[in-house]
Amino acid sequence: MTTVAELKDKVAIITGATKGMGRSAAQLFAQSGAKVIATGRDEAAGAETEKLMKEAGGEGIFIRQDIAREADWERVVGEASSRFGGLDVVVNNAGVFMVKPIEETTVEDYDWIYQINVEGTFLGMKHGFRAIKETGRGGSIVNVSSLMGQVGYPGATAYCATKGAIAGMTKSAALEGAELDPPIRVNSLHPGVIWTEMLTSNFGDDPALKDAFAEDTPLKMIGLPEYMADAIAYLASDQSSYVTGVELTVDGGRGAD
Amino acid sequence: MAGELDGKAAIITGGGRGIGLACAKALAEAGARVLITGRNAEVGAAAADSLAGDVRFTQQDVASDADWSRVMAEADAAFGRVDILVANAGVSTAFPLADMPLEDFRAMQDVNLKGAFLAVKHGAQAIRKHGEGGSIILISSVMGRISAPAYAHYSASKTGVRLLAKAAALELGAEQIRVNAVLPGFVRTDMTAPFPEEQIAPMAVPMKRFADAGEVADAVLFSATDRSKFMTGAELVVDGGLITR
Repeated sequence: MTTVAELKDKVAIITGATKGMGRSAAQLFAQSGAKVIATGRDEAAGAETEKLMKEAGGEGIFIRQDIAREADWERVVGEASSRFGGLDVVVNNAGVFMVKPIEETTVEDYDWIYQINVEGTFLGMKHGFRAIKETGRGGSIVNVSSLMGQVGYPGATAYCATKGAIAGMTKSAALEGAELDPPIRVNSLHPGVIWTEMLTSNFGDDPALKDAFAEDTPLKMIGLPEYMADAIAYLASDQSSYVTGVELTVDGGRGAD
Repeated sequence: MAGELDGKAAIITGGGRGIGLACAKALAEAGARVLITGRNAEVGAAAADSLAGDVRFTQQDVASDADWSRVMAEADAAFGRVDILVANAGVSTAFPLADMPLEDFRAMQDVNLKGAFLAVKHGAQAIRKHGEGGSIILISSVMGRISAPAYAHYSASKTGVRLLAKAAALELGAEQIRVNAVLPGFVRTDMTAPFPEEQIAPMAVPMKRFADAGEVADAVLFSATDRSKFMTGAELVVDGGLITR
């Protein structure tokens, strides 16, 4: 990870920051001088993220949040305002994954993944817009979709639906954000296979699997959360000041195949 | 970040003006040694002189295979290695399709598409020499995704460049040679001089302005550094929302 000077003093909410990509992003943002509100459901893991942000020399706190609950979003953006005086960036990173054949996917399964991935991201944009507008400095929203929001994957119909929805919402919100002065930019990030707990808890924490994924990737490497943190920092910062409504794919080349 | 390209060497085609010059500045500020190329020796030499750091210029016709061989030899002599190649040189003209002489169509493909092909070919060969991998960045355009009347030849060339990047990414990935495409929208350069920003931007661009060349250079810099070490075959659109609606 490489620090990004343009993130200095920005106030950023990063969801799903208790592990994986969200935690890496929280560390990178804190190290770059941003003021970070890291959120998630696991308080013990959140405390660890908070510790890592402090060790990175940054200013960051953990707040417990269920992103599918609107009241939680109101509380979190309120904290951004009261603790750090406003809001510049929201990274809608939290999400869940599910592999299940389509005939076995129940409506309950669908509702669960939809509420977290789609409604959670929608609420993050909605309350992010409000708080960033009120702060008056313009800002950036980064929605973490997936390569599976661009291409299909057998057994991931519900997941692909949610990640495609994120890419679609991103573009509409980007057009609304571009109307504002100063603007709010909104973009989606599409990671390929990233070796995180989301992956290992579904497919198994197996080194042979890791090697197989790497071999199946044009760059012959496995994705790591740190790589995504760098891409999130690019989209969140003024380094991408003219970038809005785009899908940025960081997948080792899988999607080009 | 300053210093993140220390020890690296870059070639930027069409580096005398506009986006290419902004890329040269961004990469040089990040610590890279830079060789800029272009057709106009006066403009190119002045550009190299205007930038801090080890920035050189050599004349080049990007459609000439022989010129590429010479440029790569010059880069090798100057820097001993090549890590980054930005294929930025390009031309743009408007011409209704049904009236376009084949020569005009061909002239554009020569610079925009053949020039990008030769950049990948010679860039990959040079990066291969040290075996540490590298980054090749092809400047495509939003016109590689959408088009406009009288721009068939331009869109054809830029779509070709966009897919060339993907094919090259697949072929060179195992050697850690990354190939990505950057797709700018309207940028304040000589090329967009026929398009008055105050008339076009409010209608066509959601962000209601054109980009500064430096804003495109930021995407190129991201693609050139290890911050994008897992990114290849990707498209970085820098268009103020132009193709979002």
